[in-house]
Amino acid sequence: MNGEAAARVPVQRDALRAPTARAGWRIGAGAAALLAFGVGAVAPQYVASDFILKLADGGLLLGILALAIAFLMSQTGLVTIGAASVYGGVGYFFAIGMTEWDLSPLAAIAVSMVVVILYAAALGALIIRTTPLAFMMLTLAAGEMISHAVLLEGLRDYTSGADGLVVSFQGTLFGLESGDFTNAARFWAIVWTAAWVAGLAAWGVRRSRFGAVLRATRQNEERMRFSGFDTYAPRLAAFVFVNVIAGACGLLHVLNSGFVSPESLGLGVSTNALVAALIGGTATSAGPLVGGLIFAFAQDEFGARGFTQLLTGIAIVLFIVVFPGGVVGALDAFVRGMFRKRQQESD
Amino acid sequence: MLEIEKLSVSYGTVQALQEVDLKIAGAGVLHGVIGPNGAGKSTLLDAVSGRRRPTAGAIRYRGENITRRSVAWRRRRGMARSFQRTNIFQDLTVREQLALVAWRLRDDRVEDVIEVMDLGDYLDEKAGRIAYGVQRRVDVALALIGRPQLLLMDEPGAGLSAEETLRLFEHVRELIRERGIAAVVVEHDVDAVFACCGVVTVLDLGRHLATGAPAEIRADKRVITAYLGSAA
Repeated sequence: MNGEAAARVPVQRDALRAPTARAGWRIGAGAAALLAFGVGAVAPQYVASDFILKLADGGLLLGILALAIAFLMSQTGLVTIGAASVYGGVGYFFAIGMTEWDLSPLAAIAVSMVVVILYAAALGALIIRTTPLAFMMLTLAAGEMISHAVLLEGLRDYTSGADGLVVSFQGTLFGLESGDFTNAARFWAIVWTAAWVAGLAAWGVRRSRFGAVLRATRQNEERMRFSGFDTYAPRLAAFVFVNVIAGACGLLHVLNSGFVSPESLGLGVSTNALVAALIGGTATSAGPLVGGLIFAFAQDEFGARGFTQLLTGIAIVLFIVVFPGGVVGALDAFVRGMFRKRQQESD
Repeated sequence: MLEIEKLSVSYGTVQALQEVDLKIAGAGVLHGVIGPNGAGKSTLLDAVSGRRRPTAGAIRYRGENITRRSVAWRRRRGMARSFQRTNIFQDLTVREQLALVAWRLRDDRVEDVIEVMDLGDYLDEKAGRIAYGVQRRVDVALALIGRPQLLLMDEPGAGLSAEETLRLFEHVRELIRERGIAAVVVEHDVDAVFACCGVVTVLDLGRHLATGAPAEIRADKRVITAYLGSAA
């Protein structure tokens, strides 16, 4: 101990309350975010070509899926490589709901999301206690099972096997027509809004007490249990949460493409999303979204040169070696370092 | 407060504890557990705290058989423990981890724990970056949050000097007296145990050897033969 009891400095009440940002700073940051959201939703439709917008739409969809993977990685230390099973599977349920069960688009979405929640809860309940490596392999196994299930002969009447299903709806969905989702420019505003909603939801959860419980459990599960915490339910809830994000993203994908096929359930989609998360950085909400955009544009560029896989591999290695915390993570560290330096100089 | 009946724990074929009967002293008393390496001291704390499931026997806490209760359940009902190897949240600041545990255990008077453990200057430091001695105090502080009724401490002096260990014991003794906590401390530093504990239990080769006041234990020939030797 540092000294005798009498020499100890009395601690003020509320000692555990962390210092918070100044109100002015928070209002400024909120206004800047609002401006960025508004400009980002509208401006690209006027300045970018349809081709670029289509790439950006796909990149942001990949980014939202990457966000789900990154959230689970950063908060629980678990890596899922079965995210595409939900991303693509939800599209199948949406299509089957409308064509086979005569559901309205909204009801089909509701049914699809309930199925996602039930699936994630059941799978998570079984595998969330396993080691990180076993968890990863089990998500892979579950994903592969689902991608093979849609090809089963017995389900062909519903899934159309390898041919996939055409998805379109009559009337409106949330005030939008089918064409709004398939038009690259109009879909940009939708997917941009969805990215912000998903990003803010993940950001909010990260900053919440629930996020703190998840991170502390990741760091030291035993100490958490010895501090009175149940460490199982929060991780299960996080797994369901990321699958809901992946499911919502899958619905947007199927509405945008107007088509769902076994390819959208495949391992390739999951690994692309994982790579996008690593490129952007898993520690923030913006990282995976930026990673998705970088990945989509890079793939197009590499494809134009005829060496997609080779150049993608080289780029992934370079990105991860140069930016171990991802592009956004590196930027964040740089800005924080600048602020700290300036503060030290002013002190 | 805590009664242990014929408690046995084995690791494969090794019997770490064999039919140990023990009644822990009441509130405000520091109950020391000593014994040579391999005596089963840490295993005893592991079994009582729920970290390791006994192979036989029963643990009663406040009159209830808790042998099969979870660690978190025991903690929420006032049984806390600290660890031989510091077991804290290395990447959280001291403030963050104390606040998190205080929230879970609904303790809105953590200031005195921070004061007693002398952590006021370290609240905004990441726990992994502070000195080992301070980390030990964070470990004990985490156990003290939530106003526990039974505190189990596994070698709180590990890694500290004899003087620091004695001072830590004095602080803990002061705290448990103030708060009426029953405390069990496993410790290798026999001098600190005899100086600060009201009751001492000696284990040897997984068996209960003796329990009594420090002076009685010092004079016990079985204890001298098995453990204390010339230290008595």
